[in-house]
Amino acid sequence: MIYDMKPWAWVKHVVFHPTEGFEDMRWKKAGSMKIAIFIVFLLFCSQVFSTRYGGFAYNVRGYSDVFNIMPILVQSVAYYATWVVANWSLCTLFDGEGNMRRVAIYSAYALVPFIVGNFLSTGISYFITLDESIWYNAIFQVGLWWSVVLMVFGMKACHQYSFTTTIVTMIFTVVGMLIILILLALIMSLFQQVYVFFATIYTEILYRVRS
Amino acid sequence: MKIKRILTVLIAAVLALGVMSTTALAVDPYTTYNYDAWYNALPSQAGYEVIQTVTYRDVGLERVRDPSSEFYISDTENVNFSDMKDFFISPKGEMYIVDTGNNRIVKLSMDFELLAVYKNFPGSTAKHTVVDDQGNEITVDADELKAPYGIFVDKDDVMYIADRDNQRIVKCVEETPTSARILQEYYKPETALYESQSFYCTKVLVDAAKNVYVICPAVNKGAIMFSDSGSFVGYYGANRVEVTAEVIRNKLWRKIASEEQIASLTKSTPVEYANFDIDDEGFIYTVTEVANASTDAVKRMNPAGYNILEKTADNNEFGDQVSVTYNGTTYATRLTDIAVSDDHFINILDYTSGRVFQYDERCNQLLIFGFDQEEQRGGFSNPNAIETWGDNIYVLDGRNNDITVFGMTEFGSYVHEAIKLHNQGLYEEAYEVWKEVLKRDGAFYMGLVGTTKALYNQDDYKGAMKYAKLAFYGDEYDRAFEANRQETLRNNFTLYVILIILLVILYFVVKILQKKGKIPQRLIATGVGKVVDAGKNAVMSVVEKIKKGGKGK
Repeated sequence: MIYDMKPWAWVKHVVFHPTEGFEDMRWKKAGSMKIAIFIVFLLFCSQVFSTRYGGFAYNVRGYSDVFNIMPILVQSVAYYATWVVANWSLCTLFDGEGNMRRVAIYSAYALVPFIVGNFLSTGISYFITLDESIWYNAIFQVGLWWSVVLMVFGMKACHQYSFTTTIVTMIFTVVGMLIILILLALIMSLFQQVYVFFATIYTEILYRVRS
Repeated sequence: MKIKRILTVLIAAVLALGVMSTTALAVDPYTTYNYDAWYNALPSQAGYEVIQTVTYRDVGLERVRDPSSEFYISDTENVNFSDMKDFFISPKGEMYIVDTGNNRIVKLSMDFELLAVYKNFPGSTAKHTVVDDQGNEITVDADELKAPYGIFVDKDDVMYIADRDNQRIVKCVEETPTSARILQEYYKPETALYESQSFYCTKVLVDAAKNVYVICPAVNKGAIMFSDSGSFVGYYGANRVEVTAEVIRNKLWRKIASEEQIASLTKSTPVEYANFDIDDEGFIYTVTEVANASTDAVKRMNPAGYNILEKTADNNEFGDQVSVTYNGTTYATRLTDIAVSDDHFINILDYTSGRVFQYDERCNQLLIFGFDQEEQRGGFSNPNAIETWGDNIYVLDGRNNDITVFGMTEFGSYVHEAIKLHNQGLYEEAYEVWKEVLKRDGAFYMGLVGTTKALYNQDDYKGAMKYAKLAFYGDEYDRAFEANRQETLRNNFTLYVILIILLVILYFVVKILQKKGKIPQRLIATGVGKVVDAGKNAVMSVVEKIKKGGKGK
């Protein structure tokens, strides 16, 4: 096997070689941040596609609701970003070797099967009836669990952990994600109030100056 | 000459406008609406409109003071209605109004002619004592009613009156136009099964076997049931407890708490129902008057007390599902009365909003009308009871002291005709009528559903898919979609086979050509690469040109 591959070929290699792919990539110091960002963008696109489109019987709600981009953005980009931050913060403390750039790249590459599964299952729902929903579910689940497996081995290669440590750190990463998201929500409401406070002072002064 | 002509045209136009605006004002003073698949309220056509408002003057109730009249009672008798709680239209077509505040029953024909005013009720079997709210024993003056709340009249004109403050049910027949002879009385059951202290009965109903059903608001085990002979049979069709977070919490507490603690917990008790009605098949319909009740809000019970709507209803949400807060007051649906018409349309009266909600026998929402502005025609202040007769709907208002008659509009009659055919499974016959309905209200939910089913039955699967989408009816869409897919496959089978064969041949041809080296190995990648290169060059040349042009200037 020749490991001098173009950036996109690495994605393919990693996805189809779950156990060694990430180790190879780490060995060759391959992996592109640009591609990682593009994959996250595709993740967002796939979420939009699956919530807004699909066979009518599969997604009746999606055809009537007003399109709101925020939940979808949170479910894709925000989850990814907090995952990367939480994982990096945790694993630096647990002697993980990966830096944040590498965590970001490996996590993004591991998402590819999920994105493909998401697109494919939504696409296939145009051609199947509700009785045949097993196809829809099967494709989606295969993509999802493939991604989970990739994520485990990606993080294992990234931080050079044993298998058990990887699983434990990943579980704690999810906890960390929750904490980060709660803190973010708190900070946002706090800033909202601070903003309102200063805005009130501003209008108050304005009234005095004018009168 | 010319000016004159222009003037006449102008005047004519103004007059025409005036006429048009008056006709526009003749419609109801509120916007009728209906719910779509997501329970969003959408403006809709009026299915019913007010024909008539009947007061005591229209009836001629002044005659109770006229000694020469057969309806003469006394010189001090109140000529107006007072706080009417209930009314009933007998199978023979006579209206019995419970004039609660005046302790009398007023009987009218369907043209609102006065037939009788029952004030005296002689023939009580025995004087008896009851216990009132304060715990005092009072002897019942059995020859008169005391705050009657409900009435039922069977096909032999035998009246059953819920004589609330006398705590009895009176069974009586007409003797003279001002009095009715008591045949039988039903008192508080003297049995350990009956736990309540009082017997403040508010509503009464009699089935074909002459069993008497009584609603007492203090009893939540269902309706109290008497046999024809007057003996207590048992309770009929209690509501279930609505499962809320509090009920679940109490249930968990009961498992671990001590007996004293359990005693201090609030008991999870079902809500009693507010009113009922019986249809010609002997099914009893009940409504529960609790704000936004969702469990057992409306029931249709068989003689065993089993709610068959659980199996047959397409919908189990009644009234306005969303509470509205307006000017500091929260308006939540309170279903106060139910009336089932001869063709099984269920009419439910909402006390809060003064609206009537009409459903078909499968509980599909059909029409909504009425409102709560008492000062206007068709508006209600204390809507207490609803009845149907033919296509008309009658609503009794206890504070306005009037009866409002709603007649069906053209739209309403189309809806009724269509839904009747639809529920019989005659989708194709209903289709033409649904078309008329949809012409008038293009978002009428049942119209869209009915059209979907009709088109599906006519093998127009594409059309069925279109209407299922409009109705947001996923399951029906799926059925049509499956049929459409099968049809497309069957019709174009040869085409698809040829296409597949062509693709297979193409694949082998490419493989052979690749082996021979005529075309590159990675065909798609090379092709994409070439296209990308070409595009890149084209863009670059354009960019170059722009740059050069910029320099030239």
